[in-house]
Amino acid sequence: MTKRRLPEWFILVLPAIIVIALVVLIPLIFSLYSSFTSYKLTKPASLWNWIGTYNYEKILSDSKFWWAFLRTVIFLTIVLNVEMLLGLAIALMMNKVTWGQRTLRTIIMFPMMFSPILVGFQFKFIFNDNIGLVNNILQSTGISNTAFPWLVDANLAMFSIMFAEVWMSTSVFTILILAGLFAMPRDPLEAAKVDGCTPYQSFKHITLPFLMPFIYIAMTIRSLDVARAFDIVQIMTGGGPARRTELLWTLMGRTGYVDARMGLANAMGYVAIILSIIFTVYFFKKLSAARAGLGMEA
Amino acid sequence: MRKYTKISALMASVAVVALTGAANAGQFDGVTIEAKLIGGQQYEALYARIADWETSTGAKVKIISKKSHFEIDKEIKSDMAAGTTKWCVGSNHSSFAAQYEGLYVDLNKLLDKKDIAGFVPANISASTIKGELLMLPRAQFDVSAMYYLKSNYTNAEKSAAFKAKHGYELAPPKTWTEVKDQAIFFSDPPNFYGTQFAGKDEAIVGRFYEMLVAEGGQYIDDKSMPVFNSEAGQRALQWFVDLYTAKAVPAGTTSYVWDDLGQGFASGTIALNLDWPGWAGFFNDPKQSKAAGNVGVIIQPMGSDSSTGWSGHHGFSITNDCANKDAALSLVKHLTSEESQLVESKGGSLPTRTAVWVANIEIAEKGDDAFRTEVLRTFAEAAKYAFAVPPIPEWTETTNLVFPELQAAILGDKTVKEALDDAQAAVDELMKENGYY
Repeated sequence: MTKRRLPEWFILVLPAIIVIALVVLIPLIFSLYSSFTSYKLTKPASLWNWIGTYNYEKILSDSKFWWAFLRTVIFLTIVLNVEMLLGLAIALMMNKVTWGQRTLRTIIMFPMMFSPILVGFQFKFIFNDNIGLVNNILQSTGISNTAFPWLVDANLAMFSIMFAEVWMSTSVFTILILAGLFAMPRDPLEAAKVDGCTPYQSFKHITLPFLMPFIYIAMTIRSLDVARAFDIVQIMTGGGPARRTELLWTLMGRTGYVDARMGLANAMGYVAIILSIIFTVYFFKKLSAARAGLGMEA
Repeated sequence: MRKYTKISALMASVAVVALTGAANAGQFDGVTIEAKLIGGQQYEALYARIADWETSTGAKVKIISKKSHFEIDKEIKSDMAAGTTKWCVGSNHSSFAAQYEGLYVDLNKLLDKKDIAGFVPANISASTIKGELLMLPRAQFDVSAMYYLKSNYTNAEKSAAFKAKHGYELAPPKTWTEVKDQAIFFSDPPNFYGTQFAGKDEAIVGRFYEMLVAEGGQYIDDKSMPVFNSEAGQRALQWFVDLYTAKAVPAGTTSYVWDDLGQGFASGTIALNLDWPGWAGFFNDPKQSKAAGNVGVIIQPMGSDSSTGWSGHHGFSITNDCANKDAALSLVKHLTSEESQLVESKGGSLPTRTAVWVANIEIAEKGDDAFRTEVLRTFAEAAKYAFAVPPIPEWTETTNLVFPELQAAILGDKTVKEALDDAQAAVDELMKENGYY
């Protein structure tokens, strides 16, 4: 009698399956399980206290959570679009530079090299209403005699954290779009020039469609990043004041680590994942459409 | 003459302690004590004394973590979740201690009464949760007193204008009503503000809590039910709202915590600043502070019922899972001894031992730093009115529910009553979830 052997392909991928299971699957299952318990970090025994869907019911009926959800969607939408537009503009300008472009590319990546915590502290100081740089410039140059509450007013505070986020990460778009511009064939542009197209027409009908896959890849990567925006917001406003800048991750961070209510925080995390999935699916659909438009395999 | 006698007596007792230590040389040969300590320049003077303990006992101390208290807090919670609590000595804080249920040893069982007798009773009481002494206090005691710019009280024209408006003499304030009157009077936004307050996280709830107590209210009652939405609570919160509405505090005050407040007063643009003792030297240092030479300090003002006095202190605890509790206890006793407290409080922090309080004031009086003497005398008086936060594990969690509501009232998003109603309902739900009632 011969023993049944596992197929070779399975044996070959087995180590990868085991590693993925250990580092991804088990924590995911564990956190999903704990979201149905009253798990508190300071009371390890509470991990076995099954409370069914109580955490989810609490979250879904909590207006504070839904406001944080809505704010995160708005934050994500505005930040991504502003970064994309600025990144596109900077990349197009850099593409025209003929001397010192490498140095410029390195300089443009500087903000990315800072730790988000450092960026948070930097902008917290810049936007401080009493001793901050912005108000001092405004007052000393006579432009305004008002101490603008940059980190307090509902609109100004959202603007301030968006500004910091855009300052730090626009270069991600710039670099990816620049890579797209480098890879772009010159023939269609030259043909358009011969046919009498204006620079705007060439940009709209040739350059932009070619860049769209690069833009959507950047959008997908950044949407996951921004949806997890925590450090900058935590340092600059802590989600406040009066929850005016509360995003999903500041709420979850406080619930999980400061309040030690990990079960509840994990439940919030699973609801929040919906947001990331929606954005990712949307951008991947757009990416496929853009590639199909270029005659590439979708 | 009496001064010298007291200092000599203290030094003699320190020498006896040192001799006792020497007698125990080699007592813990080969033992290694793992410790998680609060980190920061101001704490290093004490940690330098760990080497002395190692020499005298033969043991070694392995510092496995050195972080801010908020970071240590998160790490300890993770340790509790993972069951990795075999390290022996941990930095603790009176506002955090109640959270770590079952983690630390009841030191009452390991110490004699005479070991505890030398500490300030209020500090020992604040270190005791449900009858268990969970930490021994080090010389890092915090209670706030009122710093002020002296120049505001030496201008005859200003004093006359104030008296004409309010009907009483302009002098450093003794009550919180006077603070409000003066803060509004001094303010000239955006160049100068009457006062400021911590505006977020536990910091604003602490400030609200002490004002609540000063107005005769309670945060939670005997059954741990939140009761801060009382008339006293509304009066307390109204004080913050009135100052913000009158623009007597910087517009960004709801985003300020301790560093922002310290820098603000040092910039010379704040008239009155309720703050911690650790800032005194910084405020009066001409290299770092524009207010230097112009700083006065008085004890914290009174509310309609009593003084404010929210306080806290740092200490050291021993884990239940520690394999060598005797050695750990010896280390903790060394770090909280009179000698250690004298060394640590030289840096400007406040001691938690009665004898060290007395000695520090006497040493300051002998020196030529009048400001240091004024600071020590004031904080010694301020400490008499000190009280800790409610000793419940959920204190920090309640503050996270309460502070956004306090901010909402201050910024005008809600009325004082609405904000306190919402905050109280949220804390009530939390306490029910935790099975209090």
